[in-house]
Amino acid sequence: MSQPRNVLLLIGSPRGEGSNSHAIGKFLVDKMEEKGLVSEEAFVTRLVNTREGTERLLKSVDNADIIVLATPMYVDSLPMQTIKAMELIHEHRKAVFPTKPQMLVAIINSGFPEKEQMNIAIKIIQNFAQESNFKWGGGIRVGWGMALNSEPLNEKKGMTRKLTKGLSLASLDLSMGHPMSKEAEDLASSLFVPLFLAKTMTRLFLNRGWNKLAKDNNAQTKMYDRPYELSR
Amino acid sequence: MKAVIFDGAKEGDLTIKAIEKSIADQLTENGWEVEPIELRNTQIAACLGCFGCWVKTPGTCVINDDGRETTRKAIQSDLMVWLTPVTFGGYSSELKKALDRIIPILLPYFQSYRGQIHHKMRYKKYPKLLVIGVQEPGVDYEETFIALAERNTLNFHPPAYAASVFQRDKDPKTIPVFVEEQLKKVEVIS
Repeated sequence: MSQPRNVLLLIGSPRGEGSNSHAIGKFLVDKMEEKGLVSEEAFVTRLVNTREGTERLLKSVDNADIIVLATPMYVDSLPMQTIKAMELIHEHRKAVFPTKPQMLVAIINSGFPEKEQMNIAIKIIQNFAQESNFKWGGGIRVGWGMALNSEPLNEKKGMTRKLTKGLSLASLDLSMGHPMSKEAEDLASSLFVPLFLAKTMTRLFLNRGWNKLAKDNNAQTKMYDRPYELSR
Repeated sequence: MKAVIFDGAKEGDLTIKAIEKSIADQLTENGWEVEPIELRNTQIAACLGCFGCWVKTPGTCVINDDGRETTRKAIQSDLMVWLTPVTFGGYSSELKKALDRIIPILLPYFQSYRGQIHHKMRYKKYPKLLVIGVQEPGVDYEETFIALAERNTLNFHPPAYAASVFQRDKDPKTIPVFVEEQLKKVEVIS
């Protein structure tokens, strides 16, 4: 692939600008902008449900040299609207036979600490890339997403140091038109604490976080409700 | 015994329609009550990712549309069937819109389950699960599709499950035998 000129950040999260998907994807795309690429952002949840939105989405994809699809993991794969966008893009590309070389990069984030839980979601995007004639630019799996708190990534913060270093490395490769290196992929997909510690902390502390949120909503006494239970 | 079928096909998918009919016929013959739901004809908004179903109205999605009904029917069934065209190795957006909204059947709390972190169960009993994908000729995503269904079982805790792929270019006359095999795997017919 020759020197890319522009990059499209495609956000699959319904939480839009306030999502981890956006925070992570934007860090990568900002790094690519620093290397001279022009960037555009698109939010699939705002586009896939209307004809005008779909046309805008397809035009943005057609124009991009690199597409960064940043999306959360939902129920072991991708959110409905991310899949919908992939279906629409695939149908479009089957009809128009694009000849321009384009590259697709995936970033998945999940609340679970194990990156392996995102393998299938990455594989699905990789299959989509292959079927839709995109060159595969690599896939990053960001576990324990709630630790990021949907805030802009900070290179100096210990919690995001590996992730930002990995994304920065990836931006070097991608800006040259190459898939990201395995080193970049692995570094960006690494937790900032050992996995056993993340798993322990998830069970001990993050569960308390749910209780706090429920308390804020006066729902703490209803947490174990079973509204659809049948008396069998 | 009740079965609910989530039909995640587009309009005019004759193969999925034939599989759905065969499942309904064979279950009915065995005394089951079967409810097929054509998801394309339901009003199910996309999940907002707001966690409201866990921390505002625990167990119920904050969006009041058909998504609440499909979730209720799923958890109240004895067998849940998911039908979908194999879409890049996963599920169609039509099927996924219902599945994304089903998460209030779990608790937000995390537990270690089979060596990984997963959500705890909200209900004491979950339905059996049968997942069938119809795959286009020229692609081979069976491994990914089955692996996805297997991962879903770690979250939805079915007492029995089966996942399988049916090739779209296969003779439709083989559908009843294929369906019978799948229903036997989930131990709902003998």
